[in-house]
Amino acid sequence: MNAVYQFVVGPLAWVAWTIFLGGSLLRLGLMYRSVIKKDPVVFEYMSFKYGMRSILHWITPFGTVNWRKNPAMTVATFGFHILLFLAPIFLLGHVVLWDQAFGINLPALPETVADLMAVGVIAACCFFAGRRIMLPEVSFVTSAMDWVVLVIVALPFVTGVLAYHQILNYDLMLILHILAGELMLAAIPFTRLSHMLFGFFSRAYMGSEFGAVRHAKDW
Amino acid sequence: MKTITGHISKRKIDDVGLQHGVDNLTPDRIQEVVQQVLKGETGARLQAYSEMCVRCGLCSEACHFYLSHDNDPSYSPVGKVKQTIWPLLKNNGRVSPEFVYQMAQVAYTECNLCKRCVQYCPFGIDTAYMMQIVRRICHKLGVTPQYLQDTAQSHAATMNQMWVKDDEWTDSLQWQEEEARDEIPDLRIPLDKEGADIFYSVIGPEPKFRTQLIYQAAVLMHVTGQNWTMPSTPGWDNSDMAMYSGDYEIMGRLKQKHFESAMDLRCKRIVMGECGHAFRSVYDVGNRWLGWKSYPIKVMHAIEFYWELLETGKLKVAKTFDKTVTLHDPCNIVRGRGLHEKAREVLRAFCPNFIEMTPNREHNYCCSAGGGVINCGPPFKKTRVSGNTVKADQLRNTGAEICVAPCHNCHGGLEDIIHDNKLDMKLMFLIDIIYECMEK
Amino acid sequence: MKPFMKLIMIAVVMLIWPTMAMADQEDITMLLDPAFTTHQRPAVPFVHDMHNEKAGIEDCSVCHHVYKDGTLVEDESSEDESCSSCHPAKPKGKELGLMRAYHQRCITCHTETKEGPLSCGQCHVKTKK
Repeated sequence: MNAVYQFVVGPLAWVAWTIFLGGSLLRLGLMYRSVIKKDPVVFEYMSFKYGMRSILHWITPFGTVNWRKNPAMTVATFGFHILLFLAPIFLLGHVVLWDQAFGINLPALPETVADLMAVGVIAACCFFAGRRIMLPEVSFVTSAMDWVVLVIVALPFVTGVLAYHQILNYDLMLILHILAGELMLAAIPFTRLSHMLFGFFSRAYMGSEFGAVRHAKDW
Repeated sequence: MKTITGHISKRKIDDVGLQHGVDNLTPDRIQEVVQQVLKGETGARLQAYSEMCVRCGLCSEACHFYLSHDNDPSYSPVGKVKQTIWPLLKNNGRVSPEFVYQMAQVAYTECNLCKRCVQYCPFGIDTAYMMQIVRRICHKLGVTPQYLQDTAQSHAATMNQMWVKDDEWTDSLQWQEEEARDEIPDLRIPLDKEGADIFYSVIGPEPKFRTQLIYQAAVLMHVTGQNWTMPSTPGWDNSDMAMYSGDYEIMGRLKQKHFESAMDLRCKRIVMGECGHAFRSVYDVGNRWLGWKSYPIKVMHAIEFYWELLETGKLKVAKTFDKTVTLHDPCNIVRGRGLHEKAREVLRAFCPNFIEMTPNREHNYCCSAGGGVINCGPPFKKTRVSGNTVKADQLRNTGAEICVAPCHNCHGGLEDIIHDNKLDMKLMFLIDIIYECMEK
Repeated sequence: MKPFMKLIMIAVVMLIWPTMAMADQEDITMLLDPAFTTHQRPAVPFVHDMHNEKAGIEDCSVCHHVYKDGTLVEDESSEDESCSSCHPAKPKGKELGLMRAYHQRCITCHTETKEGPLSCGQCHVKTKK
């Protein structure tokens, strides 16, 4: 088991991070080229001021009409994304690994808090799954890929919680947890999770069109 | 309220133009044209929009079609994308002629391109842009609703929307001039006046059946002492149904003619009548097709012009308009140009009994006529009227006697909605009220 | 279930703490350093003599080392001192804290020798009822 463990936290982690970072750079680069060649209108109208104005409204919980119209979704969405980022970085176990691998010394979250955060992410995933099943306007447009992506995101947290509490086979669960995390990283540039890369740009572009040309609010 | 999940295939409406178009199609031909448009005319935006949409459905509540059909998801913005552009991308353009019929019906008649949904998408995904791409493909395939195509044809042949012949145009202007001279004896509608400050342009329907608007505009120009003109030859019509049919080549010709007419006369600026889509095509779409980031000559919508006249004291209020009045914010000049506050300032100056409708300003519900939908003609009238009961409720809830809709398309659409829902409400243009109450 | 476990853990710690402090090295079965005031994870089972016998460690200073000005002092050992006298539980500045010291000591050695546990839960084993 130790050999497998060392493989997944060592070489495989490098592979996953390389796919994630390299793939993201590649996707951004190709998208940039496509904008220049095919959609020059985007940069022509892009405005830092109005782009930021739009982004700031949309990353503020309840900062837009639609966030206010859907309070449950707003709480779930913001909670999900904030926890999704913070928990993996500042979890004690990961902080120890940051230190071990790179000598980076980060503050760690108390374990109970991190545990609740992970459960929060899983709860949000359940909420999203519930919407996909129960709300007609969501189920109508849901395809298999949406479920795959949701599972990819939920898995690291489910296995993480099980491993932390040492429920079922700890060694196996930990390796599954690491694999799931690596799968998620590698999937970001090549699936719908790429909204992490492109979401801010599309928001900024629309904000610019609304701000500088249309003189209207887009939130 | 029980939600029934429909599908475009279950609500096919017969249209000669669409049917004739698809009768000529083969899967090979379809694929060729789809790829032509996707590869030649789209890029990063379409790719990003279709890939990163997380299918959350948050755009649904933005759409009046969705709301008016008891939240039927096949009418939601993302639902329309699912029934049109996603399959095109997924199958690399290889779809059946029947599918083309359906996607044309969705894109031309069940979306007004009002862009309200853009304001409801956390990523700012532009569904209207995607519907325009679908329309562009349909146009290139020759699958366009008959009435809309006829309008585009008129644009191509006459440079105006309504087959108005060159002499009929000047006749209408002279007729209105003569009528107005009964009221103001020295009033003129100056034609082709070189170096005028204002080049006033209108849409085809004004000389055809809303001539009172030309009359009233002439009175306003005269009373406020404007140095203005209208062209006697093609270029006077600023409207643009080719933009909505997907015929961008014709759109480009129209916009070029319009801009050039104003520039040939060396006018300082173009002032456009109370029309929304025309403003969109001149201010935001056609100019870009021609390669202008903004426009070669200053462009102003009537609302801003009225506001300016009020601000500078040239337009004076003689009496107030005492009926209760509400305002419908047209998408193309509010979500498209931010003129909502100016419209209110003008309206409030004349109407003390102003009532807001809810939602309003950028968040107002669409009239369901714009985006070329009303121009798709009688076959699709029911689509847009029954597809906008939410607008009827919104109007009813104001309790106002008058609804001001400073846009031709909105006017036409709201008229049908008011009639169909038996609302006790009268529609007016802003200039109707100004003309009635201004100091002459 | 979890808060209950925590409560039980704390109770256990408080009960055995006095005995721990007095215990001799050969009696150690847990690495439960009194310098840790709060415990994020279960203490690590560690039977001192058995571990060293199995690992073949005879030189005390492998773990109970002495550093002076950042360099290891050869042939000196520090088994009479508590770990936390050099590695405080709450380190300041560049000090090597107690947790990091334990982790580095154990994991480095286990990695080099390819023996013994490496991952979190292999050492920090949850006590089962």
